[in-house]
Amino acid sequence: MSQSDKDKHDDHGGHGHGHANQSRFIQHHYDDAQHQFDSGKLGIWLFLVQEVLFFSALFVAYILYRHHRPEIYSYAHHYLDVKMGAINTAVLIFSSLTAAWAVRCAQLGQRKGLILTLSITIVCAVAFLVIKYQEYSHKIHEGILFGEKFDPCVSSGGGPLVTKRNLCEGIKSSVVFDRGATYSVATQPTGCLDAAKIDHSPLQPGIQATCKVAEVKFTRDAKGNKTDGAARDIERCEEGYVGGHGAHGEAKGKGPKFPCWTFSANPNICPTGPAVLVHYGDEAVHAGVEIRPTCDAPGPVVNKEVDAATTLAMGKGGTTHEMPKTKHELQHEFSMGPPPPHTNMFFSIYFAMTGLHGIHVLVGILVFLWLLFRAVRGDFTPDYFGPIDYAALYWHIVDLIWIFLFPLLYLIH
Amino acid sequence: MSSTTATPGHEPNYFHAKKGIKNWLYTVDHKRIGLMYLFGILGALLLGGFFALLVRIELFAPGLTIVGKDRYNEFFTLHGAVMVFLVIVPGIPAALGNIMLPIQLGAPDVAFPKLNLASFYLWCVGALLMVYSIANGGVDTGWTFYTPYSLHSAGSVWPAVLGVFLLGFSSIFTGLNFIVTVHKFRPQGMGWFQMPLNVWALYSTAVVQVLATPVLGITVLLLFVERTLHIGIFDPTLGGDPVLFQHFFWFYSHPAVYIMILPAMGVISELMTTFSRKPIFGYRFIAYSSISLALLSFLVWGHHMFVSGQSKLATMVFSALTFSVGIPSAIKVFNWAATLYKGDIRLKSPMYYALSFLLLFTIGGLTGLFLGILSVDVHLHDTYFVVAHFHYVMMGSTLVAFLGGLHYWFPKFTGKMYNEGLAKLCAVGVFLGFNLTFLPQFIMGSRGMPRRYWDYDSEFQIFHQLSTIGAFVLGISIFIQVIYLGIAFKSGKKAPQNPWGATTLEWQAPTPPTEFNFEVPPTLYELYNYDDLEEQPDGNWVRKPGSQPASTSSAHH
Ligand code: HEM
Ligand SMILES: [Cu+2]
Repeated sequence: MSQSDKDKHDDHGGHGHGHANQSRFIQHHYDDAQHQFDSGKLGIWLFLVQEVLFFSALFVAYILYRHHRPEIYSYAHHYLDVKMGAINTAVLIFSSLTAAWAVRCAQLGQRKGLILTLSITIVCAVAFLVIKYQEYSHKIHEGILFGEKFDPCVSSGGGPLVTKRNLCEGIKSSVVFDRGATYSVATQPTGCLDAAKIDHSPLQPGIQATCKVAEVKFTRDAKGNKTDGAARDIERCEEGYVGGHGAHGEAKGKGPKFPCWTFSANPNICPTGPAVLVHYGDEAVHAGVEIRPTCDAPGPVVNKEVDAATTLAMGKGGTTHEMPKTKHELQHEFSMGPPPPHTNMFFSIYFAMTGLHGIHVLVGILVFLWLLFRAVRGDFTPDYFGPIDYAALYWHIVDLIWIFLFPLLYLIH
Repeated sequence: MSSTTATPGHEPNYFHAKKGIKNWLYTVDHKRIGLMYLFGILGALLLGGFFALLVRIELFAPGLTIVGKDRYNEFFTLHGAVMVFLVIVPGIPAALGNIMLPIQLGAPDVAFPKLNLASFYLWCVGALLMVYSIANGGVDTGWTFYTPYSLHSAGSVWPAVLGVFLLGFSSIFTGLNFIVTVHKFRPQGMGWFQMPLNVWALYSTAVVQVLATPVLGITVLLLFVERTLHIGIFDPTLGGDPVLFQHFFWFYSHPAVYIMILPAMGVISELMTTFSRKPIFGYRFIAYSSISLALLSFLVWGHHMFVSGQSKLATMVFSALTFSVGIPSAIKVFNWAATLYKGDIRLKSPMYYALSFLLLFTIGGLTGLFLGILSVDVHLHDTYFVVAHFHYVMMGSTLVAFLGGLHYWFPKFTGKMYNEGLAKLCAVGVFLGFNLTFLPQFIMGSRGMPRRYWDYDSEFQIFHQLSTIGAFVLGISIFIQVIYLGIAFKSGKKAPQNPWGATTLEWQAPTPPTEFNFEVPPTLYELYNYDDLEEQPDGNWVRKPGSQPASTSSAHH
């Protein structure tokens, strides 16, 4: 062993030393093919550790923001297309299989098989990016973006939404506002809003429209008895306040200034849609409310095509739910409302993670193309197939990261 | 070729192996790459030093001295960013380590020579981006790029941030290369505990480089995206969390201080034993403490954020954990001191640096413990006390070790000797200048002088003036060093093969080494056993006849 090694070091001419039948890709400073392969393998593993850590910060950010604002995640993930995501997952897993297969072919010196499996891997990777591109362009079109560019024209369930952008093509606002108009929302029973109608209205929590709820007047006291018409202005409960009208009846949030109001999606309170709850500390009651949106300039677009009379009939028994709804349907319906504040954060995370992952897929395609070229040239032999092995390992990690991303982003519940 | 090589040399040395500028630019020879790094890093050192002196001049008197407050902010930012990312982090591993690690292992090169070259070019592009941001208006965020200010600062933040990103990957690839080299290129007969301590230190450093730097990478990448696309992850106005940036930043940057100090500790271990003519005291303790420092360094980042709004529990845990890093650090200091004890100490110029290091690191480390105490840090945070602390460890320890290592290995990788008298003079200059600069900063910091301020009350003036004078002594000493080392490189006296009588393998290589480092495989003698070596009249140290090798071979496993 040491003799052959010595020969090698003396032979500083470079290549063509040592073992006559060794692949010409075994570099000079390695003892032999095995030494080169093992070194490369350790190297690629370290690189993959590095990759995982590189992504880890984004996963930490994900966990942190999800912990702080779960409502954003449960709202926003409806925007993602689970079908596309699932197809992509399948495509990527399949390509991982073909990549592993390529390694086997290279080990056995099966050039044709190697070329075939590498090609399939590349095709799958490209398909992944094409699907991703579809998803992205859809989101860009709909204004479902990160940061201040988050300005969707549809709610996460697909219904139209009144936002700054109102101008979204094809979206017709079904609610007509007047500046400062007062809407009396009848209660059925007390405090329940008609989801089908207010879906498009600015009445729900955290609307990002130019209109926001300015006043809530309530007409019932703590015991739920009708007050004598003397309406009182109260404020929305502090952000993050979770009302105490649960099974245990205790207030879970930090103490807001009581009384204050919130919306509740609890179908046990109002089966037809969200309810307005007025909180007095531990107790909450459905309130008969008057809700008054105020609109900042430039104000909402009035869609002339919509019959004002229909929309203003909101709450006046205009509901048309013939069939009792399932719980799931109700929840889904609620999710179709306007986004909670800072929903843009979900898409910051979504685009950062999938974008970075997409770049890795792109790099993978380039690497596999290069390997395909080399495979066609016939570079790989049973004693030199390291690059295929390393690329496949890289590809498995890219796949694995996606396998985490898919449920974390698309399948939240 | 030196006539003192173990065998008659018939191979050209690595300078002569392949000629021409192209053969340098495309080289995969770790020594050439290391040397190019060295030139780049020394250049960056002068650039960073230039900004340091501008900062110190501005602070010579209260109020406006040479520049206004905005310029001042740019000066200290560029000083810090250049020194940290371009000098101290890559300094020992990428330059000295690159040149010496394979030779200390008796190997022909690092495991991935092309990757090594790629790291170097990443460093170059990172450095150019840094210079571009200086030319393009400068950055005023501080080297820490804290959000949200860095999101809105008008400075040219993006090139600097992109530069840091690339420098990070340069560092990761160097670390990856070193880990594989140490695992796969040790000669037969060199187990983990027969490796030189410098190799242990570079190995531990590499672990931190690979595990911590990716987090810096993604953090600055997000900052870059934040500035270009306003993605919002760190931007409070969009619902993001600016403190998360601090967590990410320090999750890298505390371990990064061990990327800076661990290789310095490796160099110092070599110098201490060689110039004490005595086996290192507690070899295994030093080796293990390197690894444990590397791992503990990941648990203490929160000590930079005691007043950033962490929870009380977190601050207490981080404070307690901070003390744990004191243990392995202290182990090393005690081991070096014990190595000196009853040693036959030779005061050659590298040893001047080693002794300086011992004192300066002790001060730097102990003041770090002060800062780790929760109640004390609330008072000292963001004062000159912190500035003094980290300069004692980054400059007083890492840079001093870098200079010591440079003087120690210079004869080997250039084949030339420098002027020893001048070297000692400058070493003393560095030591005195350094202390004059930074001791007063402890005092003013503890009296409440905040860091990063361009103006101050007149009661602080005397300390600032001492500090500025010290900075000039320091700057001039380093400048003279660069000059005489440059002269020695061109036209110095020929260096013997083993001028210090050291036992590690690089001293068996020809001086300067050949392209693949050794003409004949080196012989492994017992590490750090100086009994068998004797000095010749020409200054070279050779083995006494009949010395018993520990084992022979250059085969790797
Ligand atoms: C015994 C080991 C050490 C301990 C316990 C320690 C502790 C600390 C603490 C608690 C701080 C935060 C002070 C504050 O901002 O209020 C700090 C700052 C710092 N330390 Fe250390 N340290 C140690 C060693 C080192 C080493 C070896 C280096 C570098 C080679 C280093 C570099 C720094 C730097 C750069 C800062 C300030 C960063 C900034 O805010 O700009 N420290 N250290
Ligand atoms: Cu720290």
